Amino acid sequence: MVSLPRRIIKETQRLLQEPVPGISAVPDDSNARYFHVIVTGPDDSPFEGGLFKLELFLPEDYPMSAPKVRFVTKIYHPNIDRLGRICLDILKDKWSPALQIRTVLLSIQALLSAPNPDDPLANDVAELWKVDEAEAIRNAKEWTRRYAMEN
Amino acid sequence: MGNCLKRSSSDDISLLRGSDGNSEVQTDPPPPYPEPVGPVYYPSPNISRSVNQLTEEEQIKIAKRMGLIQHLPTGTYDGCKKNRECVICMVEFIVGDNVRYLPCMHIYHVHCIDDWLMRSFTCPSCMEPVDAALLTSYETS
Repeated sequence: MVSLPRRIIKETQRLLQEPVPGISAVPDDSNARYFHVIVTGPDDSPFEGGLFKLELFLPEDYPMSAPKVRFVTKIYHPNIDRLGRICLDILKDKWSPALQIRTVLLSIQALLSAPNPDDPLANDVAELWKVDEAEAIRNAKEWTRRYAMEN
Repeated sequence: MGNCLKRSSSDDISLLRGSDGNSEVQTDPPPPYPEPVGPVYYPSPNISRSVNQLTEEEQIKIAKRMGLIQHLPTGTYDGCKKNRECVICMVEFIVGDNVRYLPCMHIYHVHCIDDWLMRSFTCPSCMEPVDAALLTSYETS
């Protein structure tokens, strides 16, 4: 097995020692590049009270290319599609190797607080978010209750 | 932001384990031509090509970029307290390390930043384009 870059070891240690509030990221037992992530829905958002599972994978050329991140828990959000793929600029063309797992997950948490229906990934969700925000927020709360509050 | 809709189909759905159950068994015969060999280049951050797959335009772009990188000053780390760690590899600088200075005065290990600059001509820390002025003077000279 190819040895793990120092940077990945360091980031992992820091994530475990000084976790980000509301976010947990734990490397998989059998693959240190694959992380099991849980993001808590931000307060005062339709996702409040939910625990959202994500998977994060550090590709071979990380940090030269961005981590691959996807929601595993279903979520009603204009910038996240039904497969859990996320529309976030820093995961695509605005990636920089100065960003880290920590900053990526913080940005995803911020995206939950600030949905952007003008830059949609889930078209139907974005459409409703624009024409009837109250209804969209009701749906988001309902999905949060149904899929992100197992216990 | 933007453009996600258009490009979403190229995303990897399953990051590691086929959690949505569509992991196909790879039964394709081996490719009829030998796999491309040689160094891999990144004409754009998300596009990787081996040297013999580059279009002429991309070759020019990369050659230019290689030339431009050589115009950026290098030196050895002098123990300056302001920059303690290379943010790319997250390893602390040691006096005598080869470093490259960008116009915005951010410094990195030469091998770390050169790898990035070959993909994107921006400073990883401040996202400033690495001197558009340098680019124009180089192109017109």
